[in-house]
Amino acid sequence: MSLSRTTRVIACLATVTALTSLTACGGGGDDAAGKPDGPVTLTFWGWAKGTKDVVDAFNASHTGIKVKFEEIPSGTAGGYAKISNAVKAGNAPDLVSIEYPSLPEFVSSGALQDIGDAFTEADRAKFLPQAIDLTTLGGKNWAVPFDAAPQAFFYRKDLFEKYKVTVPTTWDEFRTAAEQVRKADAKARIATFFPDDPTTFEAMAWQAGAQWFKAGEDSWKIDTADAATTRVTAYWQGLLDDGLVHKNASFSPEWTGSLKNGTTLGYLGASWGAGVLKGTLPEQSGKWAVAPVPSWDGKPASGMLGGSTFAVTKDSRNKAAAVEFAKWMTTTEEGVKARIASGTSSAFPAATALRPTAKKAFDASFYGGQDIYALFETAGASIGKNWSWGPTTGTTNTTIKDRFGAVTAGGPTLADAVKAGHDATVAELTRRGLKVEG
Amino acid sequence: MKARTRAAALLLTPFFLLFTAVLVVPIGYAVWLSLFTEKQSGLGFGGAETVFAGLGNYTAALGDRAFREGFGVLLGYCLLYLPLLLGGALGLALLLDTALARARRFFQLALFLPHAVPGIIAALIWVYLYTPQLSPVVQAMEAGGIGFDFFSPGGALPSVVNIALWEWLGYNLIIFYAALQAIDRSVLEAATVDGAGAWRTAFSVKIPLLRGSLTMVGLFTVIGSLQLFTEPLILSRGTGSAVTSTWTPNMYAYSAAFDRNDYGLAAAASILLALTAALLSFAVTRLAAGKKDRKERTA
Repeated sequence: MSLSRTTRVIACLATVTALTSLTACGGGGDDAAGKPDGPVTLTFWGWAKGTKDVVDAFNASHTGIKVKFEEIPSGTAGGYAKISNAVKAGNAPDLVSIEYPSLPEFVSSGALQDIGDAFTEADRAKFLPQAIDLTTLGGKNWAVPFDAAPQAFFYRKDLFEKYKVTVPTTWDEFRTAAEQVRKADAKARIATFFPDDPTTFEAMAWQAGAQWFKAGEDSWKIDTADAATTRVTAYWQGLLDDGLVHKNASFSPEWTGSLKNGTTLGYLGASWGAGVLKGTLPEQSGKWAVAPVPSWDGKPASGMLGGSTFAVTKDSRNKAAAVEFAKWMTTTEEGVKARIASGTSSAFPAATALRPTAKKAFDASFYGGQDIYALFETAGASIGKNWSWGPTTGTTNTTIKDRFGAVTAGGPTLADAVKAGHDATVAELTRRGLKVEG
Repeated sequence: MKARTRAAALLLTPFFLLFTAVLVVPIGYAVWLSLFTEKQSGLGFGGAETVFAGLGNYTAALGDRAFREGFGVLLGYCLLYLPLLLGGALGLALLLDTALARARRFFQLALFLPHAVPGIIAALIWVYLYTPQLSPVVQAMEAGGIGFDFFSPGGALPSVVNIALWEWLGYNLIIFYAALQAIDRSVLEAATVDGAGAWRTAFSVKIPLLRGSLTMVGLFTVIGSLQLFTEPLILSRGTGSAVTSTWTPNMYAYSAAFDRNDYGLAAAASILLALTAALLSFAVTRLAAGKKDRKERTA
């Protein structure tokens, strides 16, 4: 060897360092695997409101399984990136929260494991069928649904009365109401278009009967140019062009500010939004009410906006325990009660039998004691059954979000944004080696 | 001799340890990652298979309009930012150089302070100041009849440049000021004796003597600009602004990894960006060195 001593020392040290840093990334996350007799320790990552209270309640009442909860940022705000990285590095937690739209992407990247054997037919029968459909991909079960998230329209009851605006039941009436609101107060708008959140827009398309991602035998059909999507796109473009809605980022300080000072009178959201508003605007308690989201023909119709599921990561050796804990959170009275009694969650359980429990646990005084769960019940049953999510939601939604931001009067339109999302989706599916039409 | 070698090895060890752990290994891993891609079959729910892609990820990145447009944004950014930064910092440094001693110390500190604020905090503060319904600045502008939407497609670039200026003006001002202080006072006295006023001294004596600092600051700024990430990322998330998630090449890599789950593409994009930065630094330093050589030869 012609290497000098120094070089060899350095090379040796370099190798040692490299090896240490590699091993530091592996392992972890399954401390209990070596001692099957003791209690199983699960790690669980999530961000939904009230999760900590649920975990505490579980740990207090169970001895066989101990859950270690770590709060992560919400999915698209960085939570999903964190989960993907952890799975890639081999130190993912056992159980993670994933919203319906992102579930197929995690499944297709191989980050999760099939839980069909632990989450049985009998378990699945307890849930809203739409929620089970959205978590069953390629004939396998990948997650335990927690909430169904039917759309809802939250509005300032006091200001609607003051401005003599009737609560709209159709989208035509919604436009009329929007005009009345602006006439009554030039600075006020009935609701907000969220350029940063394509899922709100997608829920509208879903409600109208669109079906963007169709799974065939072994190929995908991407269809965003159907009549339903076109109708929704044109409608919202009209509201934006005529200045009938605000255009602000969702949950941004400007959105909250406009709610606080009464220049935004309504919020087109979903069931879980009831808890968010209550937590954000405590001083407006009693002034709000909930109505079904307007529909095209006046009959109940809903898309689904968000909604969480619990999935087991691919390397977890505690599948049985993780699914048991997930089932406890979603299908037992104690589990649901613990979350909603925390006061910040208005989740609408996908497990149908637990809705009375949720209703009883939720303090609806913010909505003047209105029976909001009865409203969610009707809306939940009307969730469109055709919609499913594709394995490239990340690409689809990032592209649409980027284009929504550039939508301006005389510039690019919402239709351009949807088209761009379509093209990016087809390109990404092709790139991954999948067959696609559209 | 042997003892000296051993001492050198010992003293160099900490450096090489860190150098390996935080630079060589990650770069090697990125290069490795960039050669692979994930392929799926059927509907894609059977999990992914990692296959060797050769340079496939590189051609995919270069073939993506969003990635190429990112470099266009960087070019536009440099064209707008560099003159403003150099001009502003130089002008202020010259002003400071002529100001009263006590005012000097105050302004030096006041102008440098923004640099002590981390980029991410600065971006958050500015997002607040850009937001129409919240910002006193936008409201004051509107009251004065100036309507400017910082989040619009046309406003995106100026918005980011403004944040960067706020952060970096004071820092570069200090560099220029230090260089001005280093100018031999006898040269300035000679200029005064020859009857040059403050303007004449600034343009004919001070600025020519600052050429070295100007080149250095310009070079560092351009190379730093290639890494543009934090400020536009904050603007792109949660504001509904026209800054897209692939606005700069760095953001493209980030979005490829964390929005699209495509680590191979992200690694390839990062390496392409790093190569651009390396080539640019090499070219500029060679150019600067060549100029210096010629100057020394003619002198």
